[in-house]
Amino acid sequence: LRRPAAASLALLLLAGITWWAVTDRGYVWHIGAHLPRPEVPDDNPMTEIKVELGRRLFYDRRLSVNDTMSCATCHIQALAFTDGKQHATGATGAPHPRGSMSLVNSAYASRLTWANPLLARLEDQALIPLLGDDPIEMGMAGRERVITDLLRTDPRYAAGLPKAFPRDQDPFSVLNAVRAIAAFVRTIISYDSPYDRYLAGDESALQPAAKRGLELFFSERLECFHCHGGFNFTDSTTHANATVERVGFHNTGLYNIDGNGAYPPGNTGLFDMTGQRRDMGRFKAPTLRNIAVTAPYMHDGSVATLDDVISHYARGGRLIAEGPFAGDGRRNPFKSEFVRGFELTDAERADLIAFLESLTDRKLLTDPRFADPHAGAIISSNK
Amino acid sequence: MLRRLVILCAAGACLASCARPTVPVTIRFEARYDDAVIGCGQGSAGVALSDLRFYVQDLHLLAADGSAADLRLDADGVWQQADLALLDLEDGTGPCLNGTPAMHAAVSARVAPGQYRGLRFSVGVPFASNHADPLQAIPPLGDAAMHWHWRSGYKFLRAGLVADDDGFWIHLGSTGCEGTVRAISGCRAPNRVSVELPGFEPGRDVVIVELAALVSRGELQDQAASDCSSSPAETACVAPFKALGLDLQSGAGAGTQRVFRRGVPR
Repeated sequence: LRRPAAASLALLLLAGITWWAVTDRGYVWHIGAHLPRPEVPDDNPMTEIKVELGRRLFYDRRLSVNDTMSCATCHIQALAFTDGKQHATGATGAPHPRGSMSLVNSAYASRLTWANPLLARLEDQALIPLLGDDPIEMGMAGRERVITDLLRTDPRYAAGLPKAFPRDQDPFSVLNAVRAIAAFVRTIISYDSPYDRYLAGDESALQPAAKRGLELFFSERLECFHCHGGFNFTDSTTHANATVERVGFHNTGLYNIDGNGAYPPGNTGLFDMTGQRRDMGRFKAPTLRNIAVTAPYMHDGSVATLDDVISHYARGGRLIAEGPFAGDGRRNPFKSEFVRGFELTDAERADLIAFLESLTDRKLLTDPRFADPHAGAIISSNK
Repeated sequence: MLRRLVILCAAGACLASCARPTVPVTIRFEARYDDAVIGCGQGSAGVALSDLRFYVQDLHLLAADGSAADLRLDADGVWQQADLALLDLEDGTGPCLNGTPAMHAAVSARVAPGQYRGLRFSVGVPFASNHADPLQAIPPLGDAAMHWHWRSGYKFLRAGLVADDDGFWIHLGSTGCEGTVRAISGCRAPNRVSVELPGFEPGRDVVIVELAALVSRGELQDQAASDCSSSPAETACVAPFKALGLDLQSGAGAGTQRVFRRGVPR
């Protein structure tokens, strides 16, 4: 339906990687030539001014009930927009049952969050941390007026929103705040890791260990790529030219509390949404881009290191010997057929980790386009 | 043509659909625990509200012959649309931390002239409105506190109780929905509550929301986490769903609800 106004404006050589400037209805994407154009909702087209407003809002702690928390509190650029914690904590101290997901390449995510089959758009997802109360994250439910007052009175928002949403009679709405944040988050795209440079033809971008690890990763022996395949290293991936919707949720045998496949209460994955027994413990495979900087791992942060992650998959499921969650995840009846276990030498394990580390995009972690625009300024006297 | 209309109107069931809703009527709601009136402050029951807000739709008064007359709600731009109202029985004080000072304890509507001896309504939001974009919704559906962003749709009922240092809350809404947000095709468990109160007389009676039916004093003070967000796996949902006349797994009706009943005002 939407006509891609795809015109490559520039083909620049940036230290080995082809930087492809793709335009979409006037907006210039900064993505690698090997990546497709992200899908953008018709009612929220990308513009520079909207993205910049979204960045300010993303880093604005006034969007929380007690001015303590912004989106960036749980999504820290240096950690590939995760927070390094096992569980996130909301503005009022409420613990979140799951860890903060990386926002990197969420523009390409066919479904958002860990296990929600209903959430396909960032505009819808952003309402959950902002307004949700189970658990409370930013705690703004019932305080929409505070948000619209902020949009009206902060000079930058007051000046920017009418330009970003020129057709709106009243551009100072929660809806437009969410649209701007979503537009900003869509720009957080990783395309310049050593692996990307290697794909672009720079043989020296990957060390020999990482190259051997790459072979292991894409082998039928380890099966990693079945769920973590494609340019985005997850099977829940979409883009502007996608013809088939790809959505995957997988039980990886982390738990088996009752011997019948149970996961801990409150963290049952897709089952929590559908109530169907076969959906117990099924979670989305996250992108592996920048995975080396997003520990701890899994939906509940229950695996500390990449080495531990590999041990979990090598065993074909996790054994928890004692405690309330005791059980042998390897025998979880709902486990993915691709989590079968494998043998791995110490050298191979080191190679695999070297490959996973080659997916870290240092540029993304420091790119000023994604950094806090309030840094160094006192927000309340924003002029 | 005229004659056909007259004949239609002469039929018993026609009272509802043909006579114009001209008579003002008010349906009042009152929160009780074990029949004692409760609010956000500590009442005589030793139990206080921490929340009580719910949507009602599809309201009818019932005539003695069993026919039903539509209630046309006064659209006030805040609490009511023509066939939907948000009741708010909390005032944001005390334990009602997520609440608001404004309350709405009575539905104001119009009904066709007649003698009525019964009330029927559903706790819920009509399907189309329930799954539309909440940020573009008109009141009373614009209220983010009532929206369930991760499940899609509204919390039809959010109720909470506290006693001493223990508490309970329930968020009731449709679950097992399919499709994607803004394009939901259906929900496996709609979880709308059907209420019928025979003998209800609008001028005399109130609708009592009996919260002890949702959670007993023993369960309320068991020092265990007992919150229900409508998930079929939540053991804390079993008793309240039964009290609401719902099957926790399917969301279909399962017996008569016991939470809403007819009573005289206090």
